[in-house]
Amino acid sequence: MTDESKLAPLRKGLLEFLVLKIVGARSVYVADVLRRLAGTEFATQEGTLYPLLSKLRREDLVLYEWQESDSGPPRKYYRLTAAGKAQLAALDEYWNRINRTVSDIGH
Amino acid sequence: MQRISTTVRLNRSTLQFEEAAYQRLEGYLAEAVRTLEGNPDQAEILADLEQAVADQCASRLRPDQGVVTLVELQPALDEIGSVQVPGAAAEAQHASREGARPLQQVSEGALISGVCQGFARYFRIDVTLLRAIAVLLLFVSGGGMILVYLVLMLLLPYAPRQPGGPRVRWLPAKLRELVESLRTRLSAATS
Repeated sequence: MTDESKLAPLRKGLLEFLVLKIVGARSVYVADVLRRLAGTEFATQEGTLYPLLSKLRREDLVLYEWQESDSGPPRKYYRLTAAGKAQLAALDEYWNRINRTVSDIGH
Repeated sequence: MQRISTTVRLNRSTLQFEEAAYQRLEGYLAEAVRTLEGNPDQAEILADLEQAVADQCASRLRPDQGVVTLVELQPALDEIGSVQVPGAAAEAQHASREGARPLQQVSEGALISGVCQGFARYFRIDVTLLRAIAVLLLFVSGGGMILVYLVLMLLLPYAPRQPGGPRVRWLPAKLRELVESLRTRLSAATS
């Protein structure tokens, strides 16, 4: 197994991209994001996700509205803004490019 | 007499906490506040966290149970995890590197021995401003500043010379030689 300390920064750098992907696929609650990431290499806790979502909202990439819930208080329901969609498209494109570069180099 | 529980308002929810659980919660939230110091989203993140704690605890309570104990709170906090600020790892590393920045004399660009250069770099202020302050202190202190300068010159380590860096003037170079030979002799004499 590769040294975890070399892998953690890779995951950390990609988490924002993945959260944008998840929110971009359909509007979600925080619980949906956690569930989608659980069991993957990117399993994330609320303590990490809330600060990240707040940052994305401040950067005007996501926005939320309050949705009433059957159990307990209203929940934040997140979706991408137009800027968020553009950012996601750009990241997707870039990811495909560096992915190709990584697989091409060394052959 | 013993206090049984504390009523806690967590964002939009209100719950009863047993004393030990209350203290654990207080500690968790205090750490979150520290981690989020200076974060523009601090209030929003704390509100979200409080709500998460309330929801997690409420869902762990038995139907007939009114008071949250550590049995419910601890797994709730474990699941939420400590607050991680995006990009903080890199920033923290950066900050600790900067924090460890030593106070040293800097020969490059120095006029006398590099004490002012060193302080200017340490406090990230313009060296001219720092020299002006030093000269002012020289007059205010009635010359005592000269002694302070000499002591600092003898005590403060020299920053390593930068290969290919800016030229070092004659006086700072000579003083550095002198001070370093004094230090060598002193450590030889004391060992």
